[in-house]
Amino acid sequence: MTFSTAPAVLQLSGAAFAYGADVALDGVTLTVHAGEALALIGPNGSGKSTFLKGVLGILPLTAGTLQIFGTDRTADTARSLGYLPQSDEVDPEFPVSLEQVVLMGRYRRLGWWRLPARADRAAAAEALRVTGLTALAKTRFGLLSGGQQQRGLLARALAANPRMLLLDEPFNGLDQPNRDALVETIRELKSHGVAVLITTHDLVLARDVCDTVLLVNGTQIAFGTLADVLTLENLQAAFSGVQVEVDEHTVVLPGHDGH
Amino acid sequence: MTVLDSLTSAFALPFMGRALMVLLVLSVAAGVIGVFINLRGLEFLSDGLTHAVFPGIAAGFVVGGRDGLYVGALIAAIAAAIVLTLLANRKVSSDATIAIVLTAMFSLGVIFVSRSSDFSGQLESLLFGHLLTVTATEVVITSVVAVVALLLMVVTFRGQLFLAFDRSAAHAAGYRPVVLNLTLNVAIALVVVAASSAVGNLLVLAVLIVPGAVARLAAGRLSLLFVISAGFAMLASWIGLAAAFGLSVSADVAIPGGATVVLVFVLGYLVVLGWRAVRPISSRSGPLRSSDSRASREPVDNHA
Repeated sequence: MTFSTAPAVLQLSGAAFAYGADVALDGVTLTVHAGEALALIGPNGSGKSTFLKGVLGILPLTAGTLQIFGTDRTADTARSLGYLPQSDEVDPEFPVSLEQVVLMGRYRRLGWWRLPARADRAAAAEALRVTGLTALAKTRFGLLSGGQQQRGLLARALAANPRMLLLDEPFNGLDQPNRDALVETIRELKSHGVAVLITTHDLVLARDVCDTVLLVNGTQIAFGTLADVLTLENLQAAFSGVQVEVDEHTVVLPGHDGH
Repeated sequence: MTVLDSLTSAFALPFMGRALMVLLVLSVAAGVIGVFINLRGLEFLSDGLTHAVFPGIAAGFVVGGRDGLYVGALIAAIAAAIVLTLLANRKVSSDATIAIVLTAMFSLGVIFVSRSSDFSGQLESLLFGHLLTVTATEVVITSVVAVVALLLMVVTFRGQLFLAFDRSAAHAAGYRPVVLNLTLNVAIALVVVAASSAVGNLLVLAVLIVPGAVARLAAGRLSLLFVISAGFAMLASWIGLAAAFGLSVSADVAIPGGATVVLVFVLGYLVVLGWRAVRPISSRSGPLRSSDSRASREPVDNHA
């Protein structure tokens, strides 16, 4: 399925990812092009984060194929990926300044020894500017608000100058101004050819910034445009009686199981 | 000689000079590594490692004597670090794994020592060190082992820091957590080996853990943590050693050096803890690490 003439940056065919012997997600076949955003949608535990971790190489590919920037995953491709984990995965009381956190995004370019050069500091400063955090650079990370921490981790991902950005539930816990700012940042990145993968529960936001959707529930339910994928039949297959907002209408799917 | 005199003049004595030298070298290595133990919450794993290294120290001692124990100790240290790293990576509860390895290896060590002629005397020396009778050879071996441990941390510093802060993102950036964990565990085990003559196998845990904990209480800036941790360890070592010597001479009772040093470490920790409690809120550099702050946050994805 092709939506763009831009080069493909991510191609999966029959891909499966596992935690040890437990397959958490399988049957994923999709293509993402430069400048496109893909929304990953599904209930909790359905494999959305698994998908991101599989693309990043944190989890092994146990079946199918996966190509990033037209090649197999390598240390070089890893350097061109930016990752925003769920904000509850980091220790908020860790004794580092926001600037130090953002510079972590440059660590793989610096290697083990090289001190940050002007280009590294400029990339960190630019990432702080884009996320609106320049004035807080020297502040301890743990003293920032939840939304500022989230933006700080996004700045760390951006400091690596990624060609593909992977965002795990980036809108969780953000107030309206922070949400709007994040949507704007994602649009700007897309316009510069950056591909963006976003896990989210918010279908309205997905519609605002995403070109394609991957609907999952342990396996791929559907992949395509929002209109093609978010049908009642597909949503029933993915969710079991969860409220879902589609086009500003709330749909309650049958078969409620208490989640 | 008064206790105050012993803070300076006592170190002119060759055995006191050697004891101080060993402690200062250990302080730098353990101070830096202790910060990472604190940041990662690896105190119990460190406890497991100290005990797991014990049979190697004991076997080395039985075969090679005091100066020869290091070969056995180094082999055991690296083996213990590898085993604990791999076991901690599996699905078995990490604490249960450590507890099982800890008790099994420690028992094995006691059995090894029981084969030596002066069982209780040797066991005491291996468990609590023999700080005031450290030989020149032991000073050299301790220094080399401690410097290697420190170098392992310096070389992997960025990866260790990134991993401690955000494991998933560090892994995503291309760092291999199992390699970094193994490096840190080997470094901890090397400090245990290095400390075996000075403070022994049981008390080394204080040298590894207290300075990092003190630094975490006292400072919120990363660069300061390492300076405070190593500086505190050096200061407490000096005061502890002088106190043991001064009390032994003035009160004419043999006070064990290693245990006194460790007590001063712990006293220092209590002083910093008290200072934190009473100082004005506005001057606080950062919150305590709360071990339940992470636990209270619910995991969003069971697989994460």
